[in-house]
Amino acid sequence: MLRERLAELVSRASGGELAAADVLVSDRSLPALGVTSLVYLRLIDAIEVEFGCDVDLDGPFLDTLDGLAGHLADRLALADEGAPGGRAGDR
Amino acid sequence: MTPLTPETVEFTGARGGAAPLTWGQRMIWGSTRWLDDGDPYFNLSWTLPVAGAVDLPAVLRAVRRLIERHETLRTAYVETAEGVVQRVARAGRLTVGVYETGSRPMSAAKTLAADLAATAFDYAGELPVRCAVVVTGGRPRAVALALSHLAVDGWSLNLIATEWPRLLAGDDLPAPARQPLDQAAYESGDEAAARSARAVRHWRAGLARAPRTMFDLPEREPEKPRFVRFGMRSLAAAVAAETLAARCSATTASVLTVASAALLAAVTGHRTAALQLIVSNRHDPRVRDMAGPAALDGLFVLDLAGGTFADAVRRGHGQAMAAYRNGHYDLSAVDAVRAEAARERGADLDLDAFFNDVRPDGRWPDLPPVDRDDPGELTALRERTRTFFDGGYPRVKAHAFFATGPASATCEFFVLVDTAFLPGEAAERMLLGLEALLVRAVAEEVPVDRVAEVCGLAPVPRPAGWTRAGDDWIDNTER
Repeated sequence: MLRERLAELVSRASGGELAAADVLVSDRSLPALGVTSLVYLRLIDAIEVEFGCDVDLDGPFLDTLDGLAGHLADRLALADEGAPGGRAGDR
Repeated sequence: MTPLTPETVEFTGARGGAAPLTWGQRMIWGSTRWLDDGDPYFNLSWTLPVAGAVDLPAVLRAVRRLIERHETLRTAYVETAEGVVQRVARAGRLTVGVYETGSRPMSAAKTLAADLAATAFDYAGELPVRCAVVVTGGRPRAVALALSHLAVDGWSLNLIATEWPRLLAGDDLPAPARQPLDQAAYESGDEAAARSARAVRHWRAGLARAPRTMFDLPEREPEKPRFVRFGMRSLAAAVAAETLAARCSATTASVLTVASAALLAAVTGHRTAALQLIVSNRHDPRVRDMAGPAALDGLFVLDLAGGTFADAVRRGHGQAMAAYRNGHYDLSAVDAVRAEAARERGADLDLDAFFNDVRPDGRWPDLPPVDRDDPGELTALRERTRTFFDGGYPRVKAHAFFATGPASATCEFFVLVDTAFLPGEAAERMLLGLEALLVRAVAEEVPVDRVAEVCGLAPVPRPAGWTRAGDDWIDNTER
């Protein structure tokens, strides 16, 4: 579910230039699909609004949809446990 | 070019009003204070074509509608006891010069625009826009504009260029979602405060890792003019940057940022590079169609102590994204963090090295087709690379400034240096070094400690008595 939703957010952040279905099935990295810095920033903002949690930008998981989904799932699980989320967005 | 009778455009917008400066306006305001009074350095000249059979009244109507729809074009900046205020005039008038030219109307418009931009704006008493129309045989062919940087940034200019044909055609355009008056209101609210607080945390953490300065170099006799800018057009650099971006799962913007940081670190003898990235602050859809300055500086600090250039690109991409994400903030809060860091370090922090990617969507959409699998191709492309002297300036608030150009079919890149620290020709050598680094990194892994060698750049020698403390160089001979 998370993966599907993220693919939709990627599509929306790209202004519709990337189709969610293509993002879902592709094994290429997000930049290789055409996700520019501006699209990334829109995507991170959208994730923050929708999931109420910040993505740590200082890691390798930004590269791919699966990486991002995995990172986000961890973040959400952490938030569910009521554990401190760390210095989200600090870096 | 023959001057004809000037015209007057009378405009009446939807509203007027006053508000404190937006964060983006305050940034430019601060920069203009830094210049001498009357210095037109921050003026922008811009030209717009007039295509098809459009008469002069239609062009003037389009100019009127442009000023009516964008409040920033009818805003004065007034110093009051409570600080500087943006004051939007609801109505007013603009005198528009009309010039007849026999041929080449766009180049005539460029000349006119440069002339219009050659005089500083009276921010409090004058509209931040000047305008002239170029006609050929009585038919309008181009519009020349000079704008104050307080009124527009690069993004706003592109926005105006996009809207212009539709305004000329008389199309209805939706009103912008947000104007600078609204932006000032937004910035006084909770959401913006949270963003600013996050940015302050980013700055604090970054400053703790940044060298005190990248320019702890022996002083040299500055050249005249002191600041020198060279440019380069390199298809090889564009193709190599795209290849590396794909390989490192990064963007070409990040590849160029990291390459600039690595070059600067190599030349200045640092293992950590600090750059300020010009952040357009336009990824938020609510400000996409706002004309007005929104750009601020983002802090980018990159560890270059070991590993390969490709490693640095992978790391740097995340750092660059974080810098861009944390680029919208209350300037006074970040200034306070900078002052605090200076106190802790016992020295002022000099962050006067910059990187700016001006490509509207961060890409080169019109690169010609190239066989990317042929290693000889890049080498062949390098022979087509051209560098050129771009300009000399008496005063710039930067010791080094790296920037892309707007070209979409090649990598246009610029390096400005402050010759009080680096020789002017270093700007050109860094351009060719950037290309050499990118091309080499496509062919093989380049260790970061070999960047100077690969780029053909010798680090600035430090005389005996200079020692390194952490990543800072100290001149002990002064003690």
